[in-house]
Amino acid sequence: MPMDEKTKTLQEDFEKNFADLELVIGWETGFDRLHATPVFIRQPSELGKLVWNPLCSQNLSGYLAKNLDASIQEDGKKIGICVKGCDSRSLVALIQENFIDRDRLYIVGIPCEGTVDLRRLMHLKPSLENVRKVDIEGDEAVVETDQETLRFPIENVLARKCLRCLYPNPVIYDTMIGTPLKPRISEDKLYSAVEKFDTSDRKQRLAFWKTEFNRCIRCYACRNACPLCVCQDNCIAESRKPKWLTQRDGIREKFLFHMIHGLHLAGRCTECGE
Amino acid sequence: MRIGVFICKCGTNIANTVDTEAVARKALEYPDVVYATDYMYTCSEPGQEEIREAIIKNRLQGVVVAACTPHMHEPTFRRAVEKAGLNRYMFEQANIREHVSWVNKDRESNTIKAMDLVHMAVEKLRLNQPLFSSKVPINKRVLVIGGGIAGIQAAMDCSDGGLDVVMVERETTIGGKMAKLDKTFPTIDCSSCILGPKMVDISQKENISLHAYSEIESVSGYIGNFEVKIRKKATYVDWNACTGCGECTQKCPSKKTYDKFNEGLGSTTAINIPFPQAIPKRARINAESCLYLTKGKCKKCEKVCPADAIRFDMEDEIITEDVGAIVVATGYDMFDYSVYGEYGGGRYPDVITSLQYERILSASGPYGGHIVRPSDGKEPRNIVFLSCVGSRDASVGRPYCSGVCCMYIAKQAIITRDHLPDCNCYVSYMDIRSPGKNYDEFIRRAQEEYGINYIRGRVGKIYPKDDRLIVQGVDTLMGVQMDIEADLVVLATGLEASEGARELAEKLRISYDQYGWYMESHPKLRPVETNTAGVYLAGVCQGPKDIPASVAQGSAAAAKVQILFSRDTIETDPQVALVNERVCISCGKCIEVCPFGAIQWKTLRDGSQKAEVLPTVCQGCGLCNATCPPKAVQLQHCTDDQILAEVNAVCE
Repeated sequence: MPMDEKTKTLQEDFEKNFADLELVIGWETGFDRLHATPVFIRQPSELGKLVWNPLCSQNLSGYLAKNLDASIQEDGKKIGICVKGCDSRSLVALIQENFIDRDRLYIVGIPCEGTVDLRRLMHLKPSLENVRKVDIEGDEAVVETDQETLRFPIENVLARKCLRCLYPNPVIYDTMIGTPLKPRISEDKLYSAVEKFDTSDRKQRLAFWKTEFNRCIRCYACRNACPLCVCQDNCIAESRKPKWLTQRDGIREKFLFHMIHGLHLAGRCTECGE
Repeated sequence: MRIGVFICKCGTNIANTVDTEAVARKALEYPDVVYATDYMYTCSEPGQEEIREAIIKNRLQGVVVAACTPHMHEPTFRRAVEKAGLNRYMFEQANIREHVSWVNKDRESNTIKAMDLVHMAVEKLRLNQPLFSSKVPINKRVLVIGGGIAGIQAAMDCSDGGLDVVMVERETTIGGKMAKLDKTFPTIDCSSCILGPKMVDISQKENISLHAYSEIESVSGYIGNFEVKIRKKATYVDWNACTGCGECTQKCPSKKTYDKFNEGLGSTTAINIPFPQAIPKRARINAESCLYLTKGKCKKCEKVCPADAIRFDMEDEIITEDVGAIVVATGYDMFDYSVYGEYGGGRYPDVITSLQYERILSASGPYGGHIVRPSDGKEPRNIVFLSCVGSRDASVGRPYCSGVCCMYIAKQAIITRDHLPDCNCYVSYMDIRSPGKNYDEFIRRAQEEYGINYIRGRVGKIYPKDDRLIVQGVDTLMGVQMDIEADLVVLATGLEASEGARELAEKLRISYDQYGWYMESHPKLRPVETNTAGVYLAGVCQGPKDIPASVAQGSAAAAKVQILFSRDTIETDPQVALVNERVCISCGKCIEVCPFGAIQWKTLRDGSQKAEVLPTVCQGCGLCNATCPPKAVQLQHCTDDQILAEVNAVCE
């Protein structure tokens, strides 16, 4: 099913079911057609904003645990949410941990061929402008602008997480838009990079992490994006009492922050790659 | 904060390998410390007086004592600071004896470690908050689990003291193993004659409620206020209507049912009353062998029951009892004799366990008290008793001595010689253990007056020859091989933890050792207490013991309950978890991990849900704190910040 058709089916499905919904969380076109951004729709008239295309990279399930109270408007009505394969796994984790009741949700699942990493795209074509449409056709990403139609091999423009995606299809949904897809990678190759890293000795690994974490500016964007980082404003990294971390700069505090982040996600992470 | 530090020399216990004066001098450098000294015995009356004086003179707000383990003297010092007007929790104790002077001889490194420990205590104390305990009322009812002789004794003593008692028994009758015994050592008095009146007392006491054929489903709550769910298993007979007349047992056609009370000697009917003196004397249908319940046809018992008590549609029922204390008296089971394949237990019908032999000896047993062989009903001419079957043998995982077998072998052999004077009794033993009042005399009587042949040495093999059994072993005193042609072999099976003991311990949150025996709080000084406050032990569930010791423990446990119930309230420990609601993210993980069920949801005025700790149920284990992602749950008196302060102090 082509992209435009999927967007249309998506909009129609929500229109049909809107009577039971208080809120629809999906994606809309951002400030230009090269960007997609999350959208929260409470009026059926706004459903036309909804889009589905390879730029819809954001994992929307995170909003459910974070600011759900603020989104509750009418009792008894459900929340409609759009999920890709990876997003649906986060949703399952949140349901398992009782952050959201399955019965509160109307889930529209969309099999996903991968999302485009804008930075990689801009790197290949820095002068890209007046984009009309981005789509994936087989092994190519197709970008239509007002002037021309560009084709890129997907391994050059897809987000790295999408190139090693095992779960292109939603694992939980009420309605599925489109047909299920086959993963691009087999399970045995999934962790080859990690396995290679594991063979290096402790000192090398420590040096690697020190270098990587030293780049961290503790902006907490990683935490805010993570659908399972559910503490949000009460994050232990910013708490003064108890004071596990100071606001001091330096690798010591950065390292500890990432250790806490890692430990808090251990056994819960669904590898959404957000 | 103004902090005083007191370094104890503990005579020479600490001072020998720690420079206490240097530790005190160093302590003055730590933040907020305004006073520091060392003293010969800080725990002594003058030592405590010195603390009190220093608090007043130096206007101290917190005290650190570096001495022995807080297990020993924390309460002492807390009282001392309290007498001087401080809150008792404005005190910290550093252990520089068990953790320093007793474990290392190097004075220099010991002194440095002592300084570090004092430094940590000071840093923690700086973050201490005054805490206050509250009082909760005690429910003065006691639950006794197990209706054997230990449980009966505990229940009777509590009842006689005016307490309401709830007794739960797994079988359909109380009496336990003692009810199965023929006679008791060393007096050879009839077991059921001395037990029977006590069983009747249990049923007749108005302040004892007995739940027979019931098991503990779950236990929640805490000392003074336990909530116990009891599963009353389906008997298919309405016990309020049943009169115990036994008509049904006469007519029941399913006569091949395993007879548990008679240890499988002979068989019984599907509807059954275990023995005439059973308390309560009520029938139960064994659902596995009842023809109606298995094949849908029969109902003979229903037809003959004059009281219309049969209820084929009965189901398990769960009831709740609220109690303030629990006495566990769940007894034991016998070691499985078939583990020793070379003895043939389970294969040869005339190789039996000691408890089966008790049933043979018993006048109410399957053979009416006549000593005959299970295989052919003939009177035996030679009987061999084998000691230590499943005792003192690490190879079968039973390295412990069962404590009672030597004595009951002598008793059974004596009774055998009384019944059948021509029957030869042989006892193959490893050692004879008879350390009780009149016990060794009893063994000597068996050997000298009754002519019972004691042969020291282990039996290696038992095999059949014609209709007899050849018992082959070694006589280590004579240094010769022993071959005895026996008609009957009695294996003196050892004791092992009761089936389900471990599961019950987990429900009660008490600990057990590697064999499943319940752990007492202290092997010498707290023998009937457990480490869970309000739960006490009586009888063999704590470890093998004989009837007098079980009875003594039953009374001891009852005394502990009476001591607890002599007060109307108990003080709660304020060192418990506390939720900061503003930080709680309502993930509920603390509720899931709490082993005591001490955390529940609380709905705030805005409709949001937050975790709430029940301070009386919380045991202060800290699991919730470790689990809480934003650390909204903090353990009072041991907060994250206090631990971090200690870590920072030691890592400086």
